[in-house]
Amino acid sequence: MAGSPALSPSSTGWRAWLLSPEPHSRWQARLGRFYLGWRAFSRNPLAVIGLGIVLLLILVALFADVIAPYSPVAGGDLRTQRLLPPSETFWLGTDDQARDIFSRIVYGSRITLFVVVLVALIATPIGLLVGTVAGYLGGWVDTVLMRITDIFLAFPRLVLALAFVAALGPGIENAIIAIAITSWPPYARIARAETLMVRNSDFIASVKLQGASTPRIILGHVVPLCVSSLIVRVTLDMAGIILTAAGLGFLGLGAQPPMPEWGAMVATGRNYLIDQWWVAAMPGIAIFVVSLGFNLLGDGLRDVLDPKAAK
Amino acid sequence: MLDIQKLQVVFGTGRLRVDAVKDVSFHVEPGEAYGLVGESGSGKSTVLRAICGLAPITSGRVLVDGAEVTTPRSKAFYRTVQMVFQDPYASLHPRHTVDRTLSEPLAIHGEKDTETRILQALREVGLGPSFRFRYPHQLSGGQRQRIAIARALILRPKVLLLDEPTSALDASVQAEILNLLDDLRRKMGLTYILVSHDLAVVAHLCERLLVMRHGEAVEETTSAALRSGAASNEYTQSLIQASQGFTRNAKPPLQSLAG
Amino acid sequence: MTKPLLDVEDLRVRFHLRTGTVEAVRGVTLQLGRERLGIVGESGSGKSQTGRAILGLTPPPGEVTAKRLAFDGIDLLTASKRTLRTLRGGRISMVMQDPKYSLNPVMTIGEQIIEAYQAHAKAGRGEARDKALAMLEAVKMRDPARVFSLYPHEVSGGMGQRAMIAMMLVTDPDLLIADEPTSALDVTVSMEVLRILDELVTERGMGLIFISHDLKLVSSFCDRVLVMYAGRVVEELEAKNLREAKHPYTQGLMRCLPTLADDVRPLPTLNRDPAWAL
Repeated sequence: MAGSPALSPSSTGWRAWLLSPEPHSRWQARLGRFYLGWRAFSRNPLAVIGLGIVLLLILVALFADVIAPYSPVAGGDLRTQRLLPPSETFWLGTDDQARDIFSRIVYGSRITLFVVVLVALIATPIGLLVGTVAGYLGGWVDTVLMRITDIFLAFPRLVLALAFVAALGPGIENAIIAIAITSWPPYARIARAETLMVRNSDFIASVKLQGASTPRIILGHVVPLCVSSLIVRVTLDMAGIILTAAGLGFLGLGAQPPMPEWGAMVATGRNYLIDQWWVAAMPGIAIFVVSLGFNLLGDGLRDVLDPKAAK
Repeated sequence: MLDIQKLQVVFGTGRLRVDAVKDVSFHVEPGEAYGLVGESGSGKSTVLRAICGLAPITSGRVLVDGAEVTTPRSKAFYRTVQMVFQDPYASLHPRHTVDRTLSEPLAIHGEKDTETRILQALREVGLGPSFRFRYPHQLSGGQRQRIAIARALILRPKVLLLDEPTSALDASVQAEILNLLDDLRRKMGLTYILVSHDLAVVAHLCERLLVMRHGEAVEETTSAALRSGAASNEYTQSLIQASQGFTRNAKPPLQSLAG
Repeated sequence: MTKPLLDVEDLRVRFHLRTGTVEAVRGVTLQLGRERLGIVGESGSGKSQTGRAILGLTPPPGEVTAKRLAFDGIDLLTASKRTLRTLRGGRISMVMQDPKYSLNPVMTIGEQIIEAYQAHAKAGRGEARDKALAMLEAVKMRDPARVFSLYPHEVSGGMGQRAMIAMMLVTDPDLLIADEPTSALDVTVSMEVLRILDELVTERGMGLIFISHDLKLVSSFCDRVLVMYAGRVVEELEAKNLREAKHPYTQGLMRCLPTLADDVRPLPTLNRDPAWAL
């Protein structure tokens, strides 16, 4: 690892280049900064474990076809292969449809990743934009935007998701939309708080005095300062998002059968909980591990990106 | 170059009303350096901020080059008037390299030759090209203030508003920055308005100055008069005395040695 | 000459950081009687850390070592936490730069002075109240009874700093450490505060360590001046002999300030000799 004391002499060259106090190009400056962040991050073993779990999730999702030994949807022989305990043939056992649980979990990672990425892609920019605009402009814009935020914040996530699904029909896409529109308000709050801290600072005043337009100031100067605390928050929220998606799946309102969604898998396993515990436990463990991974990663990122909040 | 006529700045209304600047007028010739001196709450910084649009002009007029300024200020105004702030630790964006900081004004005004102009701006403030891609945290206070000055000068303004540009710096660094400002003014024919609480700094950099107190102009005088001790106003006198260091009044220094 | 009030030998303050160890104070030796000692230096010279180390207020992860660090014969390095607590705020007090951050915002000024007094003296409420009012009067508050019941945000910077001084002196300390006590204040106000401090120190026969970046101010206020550079004392001299300073750093510090008296252009700047830091 980069921060380890046993450093091979050959690596001193690029290390010195990265840590140079006099970078020669934009890229070197940026990479040097990134490297410093990585060094701080990698000093925290739990954070590295978290990163490992998240990377593993991504890899598994990417190479699901290669990794999974069986089809995630088509079951085996219903007479002989139903509800088999973990064995050499079926590593994590089989479910009531005689499907290999391991394969289903592997394919299910795609759904989990899909949910997480999509929610992050929808909620973060909305929250960032609403928060920075409200915080920077202030006045009635701030009032209107923050009241809207409050309204969204007042909806219980699961209940709104239920309403959405009731209106649009069950399905993973609708679940994602429901989760996304209930996730952005906290991000808007954070972005607004950060913006309020910097909006009266001299460096914002000075760019104003260069004649910069308001969008330019918000996008080029305010947003970069809010992004890091937002990344931390979003990462920490991922666990909750995964759990909500799983919860919707469990209630039968998220991913629809036969999609191998982890929450739905737990739901089917609940009928056999006493005798065939693995049917519910295996996807449950997957949810737990991935949630933990995101939380560990988020904590590690917070130490690096947002040292004030870590204390 | 710059004409301030009966400037008044009021913040808030009703019970929260604060009259930050009351009826202040002065005139600055092209190429002149003019000082605003006073203690905190004297409104000296507010005058600067009202000129450049960071504070409202409640009444009165601000004329630059004979033309009254518009609210919001035009792009042309920002090409003529630029400002350097007090705290170099707060006036540079913490996530932007020097390069980004200096290229921003050029990009806003659609200027060409970014590359050469940045290098030239660095040279003007006595920094080499090796500083170009550093982040503010890789610079000392004096270097940061040089970058802030370079940023203010990169659009080739005629007027520089200096808000306590050296009060956050160590004495030896202050001397360097004052020398730099002195040099730049001579080379580029700049007009300065310097705000400071330090009489000696103002007298060093400026030819004429206005002493302010509680938002009002107390006395307009020249640095030469200040040096010769010819200040007529009592408040100015007390400022001069305070700037000389601590004096034990009347009594001779007590020798209370180790006992 | 009797034993000094404060005896410091080879004081070192180290900070063990991830990137390595930084030595902020590198072997400061000083002796203080009942006199006014100034410590002058630029930012990063270790002057503030010296003051904090004497009081045991070095922030973590700082580590303080010294051959000797004794206050009135009490070894501060080996003293128990209890002893330190009674000394601190009792016999040794400290005035910080900005009263805004040193006063408790949710307590009235009077309450804070009473609390400071009662923490170190067994006294009833009535007595403590009288003492607090007397102290506020001693720092030249125009209306002590009114200031007594005000909250810190309701007073100006100068008044806050005077309240701070009142609080620090109410226990009749033997040693006062003042770290840039006036640099957040306006010049005319700071002169007033210094005058009060000067009177109190002289009257009560306290020892004073006055830490500041302002050479002119320190030399006009103190009896003796230590000039610090890069964690070391580079020169020690009588304040009145400042003009005869030998060390090029001290000389440079004096010359680089613009003065009303003469118009030097360009101002002489300081060429830092790496040898000074050795």
